[in-house]
Amino acid sequence: MNAQTVLGWAAFGLYAAATFAAFGYLFSKDSRASRMMLALLVAGVVLHAAGFAARTAAFWAFPENRFFLPVSSYYGALSYMALALAGVFLAVEGRKRLGILGAFVLPWATLALGAAVAFARPDAGSLEPNLRSYWLNLHPLVLMTAYAALANAFGVGVALLVQERQIKSRKPGELCYRLPSLDELDALNGRVIAFALPLLLLGLGMGLIWSYRVWGSPWAAEPKEILALVTAGIYGIFLWLRYGAGQRGRRPVLVSMGGFVLLLATFFGAELMSGRHGYLGGR
Amino acid sequence: MRLLSLSWSHRSSPPAAREALACVPIERVLAELRARGVGEAVALSTCNRFELYAAGAPDAVKPAEKFVAFLEELAGASLAGAAEAREGREAARHLFAVAAGLDSLVLGESEILGQLKAAYEAAKSAGMTGKRLNVLFQRALYVGKRVRSETALGVGASSVPGVAVHLAQSIFGRLEDKSALVLGAGAMAELAAKHLAERGIGRLSVANRTWERAYALAARFQGEVVAWENFPAELERADVVVASTGAPRAVITRALVEDAARRRGGRSLFLIDIAMPRDVEESVHALDGVYLYRLEDLEALVARGLAQRAEAVAAARAVVEDKAAEFQAWASSLASGRELSLRHSAGTAAKTA
Repeated sequence: MNAQTVLGWAAFGLYAAATFAAFGYLFSKDSRASRMMLALLVAGVVLHAAGFAARTAAFWAFPENRFFLPVSSYYGALSYMALALAGVFLAVEGRKRLGILGAFVLPWATLALGAAVAFARPDAGSLEPNLRSYWLNLHPLVLMTAYAALANAFGVGVALLVQERQIKSRKPGELCYRLPSLDELDALNGRVIAFALPLLLLGLGMGLIWSYRVWGSPWAAEPKEILALVTAGIYGIFLWLRYGAGQRGRRPVLVSMGGFVLLLATFFGAELMSGRHGYLGGR
Repeated sequence: MRLLSLSWSHRSSPPAAREALACVPIERVLAELRARGVGEAVALSTCNRFELYAAGAPDAVKPAEKFVAFLEELAGASLAGAAEAREGREAARHLFAVAAGLDSLVLGESEILGQLKAAYEAAKSAGMTGKRLNVLFQRALYVGKRVRSETALGVGASSVPGVAVHLAQSIFGRLEDKSALVLGAGAMAELAAKHLAERGIGRLSVANRTWERAYALAARFQGEVVAWENFPAELERADVVVASTGAPRAVITRALVEDAARRRGGRSLFLIDIAMPRDVEESVHALDGVYLYRLEDLEALVARGLAQRAEAVAAARAVVEDKAAEFQAWASSLASGRELSLRHSAGTAAKTA
């Protein structure tokens, strides 16, 4: 085992522990669990970033790989997404009252990094000549950042549905007082998606430009491309419902959550059917 | 070691005694005590209590009567009958309970923790604390924080208006930029208006069939008056609606709410119906973003809040009891020369310097 693998597993362990602490805080009312979650998460992010740096160093040992980031493989994309997820969570929700959203967001970071360390092999080899393009190196980077933000928004959406259910039931429990208010959750969900959708479109656009340069056509109509476009469309519909049609709360949030389900299908499901984007095939 | 505490609190003593004590600055109390040869003392003075803690070697601490006489001299009033004197473990337990907010008028309030800290720091900077009171007060602050983070003391509401405001905050967050509409001008309507105003609702308006009574109620809380015929239009602006009229049938119908909802841009609407017979048609609760709570819903929440509070008090008392016993064991270990170490839960040893 080399340094990057050890750091990857250690960060995964810390994310998993932070997720446990987050659930501990959700179901108990012990604020120490929330502080513990933040401490574990910060430690995890630090180790994860160190692991990412170590991996980049190993990647750059191949002169032709400089100065691309190791994000074009399945491992690289997942690992970067987990890092961005945790980072976005710390930036957006790590503030005091929103720490409770950890239980809704951190499982995604843990799963993403877990899938990376357990199933994907680190990209230690030479980068394929086709992929040596800054457009293409930025393409997964930008997309994974958008994914991370959208996963955060999904967590916020789940919290909103839980809170809405609580208030509608007329028997709100302890949880109701500890979750942020419906208005705050709604605003946060909308703002994060409004930030992520342009990134998503930018990332897709970069893919199109690269594809045009290498293959002469921007669009191959393969499953991953189609799904990605539909996903962006659904988030577009959400933004229109939320900011254009003056809807709030449950209904638009359900639409945005549908977008996230498609996002997962795009990232994981389309693997099986996609040629150009087949990480698992090692292409 | 010997530990002595004297307290005059809202529980035990008449306001006159506390008033007289509140007029004496604690700096003066500490200075006078030092002039009389007292080595370690902390004085706590708030609107609801006056407390004095003194500690030292067993023969160095004067009896309680001496301290009472001394304070009577300073305050210029008779205090003896109203004083509660405690020693040793009892005194530590009392201080820890005070720190936990168990002895406060508003159970579990956290202001006392800051006041306690200030009192301790004042004594410390006056050079009036030694090892014994340093440890005692650091433990007290620790118990106060721990009770607040581990138990639900001071969380949740225990009255109908309190529960309603809590719910409004769970829907809207801050109430400063929200508006409320009160329908009716009776006693219940007034109570609701009072609570909303106290919790800083941004805008308050009142509608009532008799305009004069609406005007009187609105004037008392800097609200606006809405003519009764215009209240349906007001449903479009209001975020919280409290209905408490004497109308024989529902005045807020589903059709009215549906109509208002179309023009609300998706904002949530929180309806509170405390009228009997009902003022709001039950079916509006099924509408998206509309939350209708009736009096019995709020009462059920109050009952549950009270039960939880009783549980929290028991849990807080257990922490206080446990830490007082621990402190007592430490205090007795001083005499034997083999001092125990006190630990905070995080594993940091309490300062014993």
